[in-house]
Amino acid sequence: MKELRHRFSSGFFIILALALLIFGSNNTPLLDRIRSGVVDIFVPVLDIASRPFEGVNDFIDWTRQVAIVFSENNRLRAENSQLQKAQIKASQLAIDNQRLKKLLNVGEGKVKIIAAARVVSDSDSPFFKSVLINRGTRDGVKKGQAVINEDGIVGRIISAGRSSARVLLATDINSRIPVKLASNGVNMILEGDNSLFPRLAFLPMGGKPVIGNLILTSGYGMVFPHDLLVGQVIKTDEEGIRVKLSAKLYNLNYVSVVEYDITRPLPPGGGGKSRRTEKK
Amino acid sequence: MIGSENRLERGAEKGLRGVLPFVTTLGLVLLMQLQYRLSFLDDLFPFLSLVGVYYWSIFKPRLMPVSVVFLLGLLQDILSGGPIGMMALLFILVRLFVIRQGRRFLEREFLFNWLVFIMVSPVFGLATWAIASLYLKESQNIWNIFGQSILTIVIFPLVTSALGWVRYLLADENR
Repeated sequence: MKELRHRFSSGFFIILALALLIFGSNNTPLLDRIRSGVVDIFVPVLDIASRPFEGVNDFIDWTRQVAIVFSENNRLRAENSQLQKAQIKASQLAIDNQRLKKLLNVGEGKVKIIAAARVVSDSDSPFFKSVLINRGTRDGVKKGQAVINEDGIVGRIISAGRSSARVLLATDINSRIPVKLASNGVNMILEGDNSLFPRLAFLPMGGKPVIGNLILTSGYGMVFPHDLLVGQVIKTDEEGIRVKLSAKLYNLNYVSVVEYDITRPLPPGGGGKSRRTEKK
Repeated sequence: MIGSENRLERGAEKGLRGVLPFVTTLGLVLLMQLQYRLSFLDDLFPFLSLVGVYYWSIFKPRLMPVSVVFLLGLLQDILSGGPIGMMALLFILVRLFVIRQGRRFLEREFLFNWLVFIMVSPVFGLATWAIASLYLKESQNIWNIFGQSILTIVIFPLVTSALGWVRYLLADENR
């Protein structure tokens, strides 16, 4: 009798797990809500548990910085004098740029920082690349917003609970980010494939990047603001063109959730108020 | 009166001890979700929770029933962002495998358990690879799975010795 009961319960849970596996892949809103609710419960625990690792990491970083402080100081002095010259030139170009945009009625992208968040958990799986952050809908975080850090792009929000959200990393197989070559502005798509270095796809004829080329966001798709640093081309062969991301996705600490919107001014005589583009 | 209080105390202690297998495996599930900030660990993090499920299914199967195994697997699926039901299904299959062998078969010395685990870990890894490839509709890199399985086998003695210490607390608990 006991053996029969055990067999029945095992069979029942196997069928239940299989059903979840098959029907759960549709990402129904109900399942999404349950998932976010459970994550909301565990995020505070993960937040506390991950603090010691942050401390260790900060200490290692600090020691590394102390070790290179003199050489870094010299490098920064040289860089500073170069940047001062570049700044004068850039400010002249910015004035020109603004004037031309006005003449052409070009929409101005507006970046709104929604929240600064701490990464509390990592999927640590070779098949699913995502992290959990400790900010959710109560902080204004929504599905589809972009996530960046000081080094460059990180990913986008794929689900948000009240106090937590899941970020799909740029390296995940489901990630597609519109990007461009910094040197000539040729547009392409950055495709994640679960490897450390995502590949470039949909390259136009004659727009083949070379090793060392910088990749920036193009702003298409209305998720990532344009001209954010993505990374650098590190490999071009028959297997594809690979990009090393500027942000170290395995070592994320604090990130910013941002929303990108384009405000297009009305043509002269159109009432003076700007109109916002509808987000898809 | 004093006797009944003692019984009550013992009951509460027994109850708390009874959840230790669940709590320790839950701890392993949570440990798997933390960010260790090492690039190689990103793809090769050992299946710590598998060790927990395997260990308690051998030594305290009554305290690790199939419903608990299912819940732990489901929680791991939810927290890791993987397909819901994948780990739940695989953990139940691991438990079934252990139970099918019979307690006397596996409840021997550590080395024997480790040898069996050396077979279980890669099969478990291959199953996760197969399910993930089907789920993502694209064949995934299989070498990461071997790396993960090997690391799990290497870390097995460390995790089981920690769990063994917890089992010591349960020594007078009936199965």
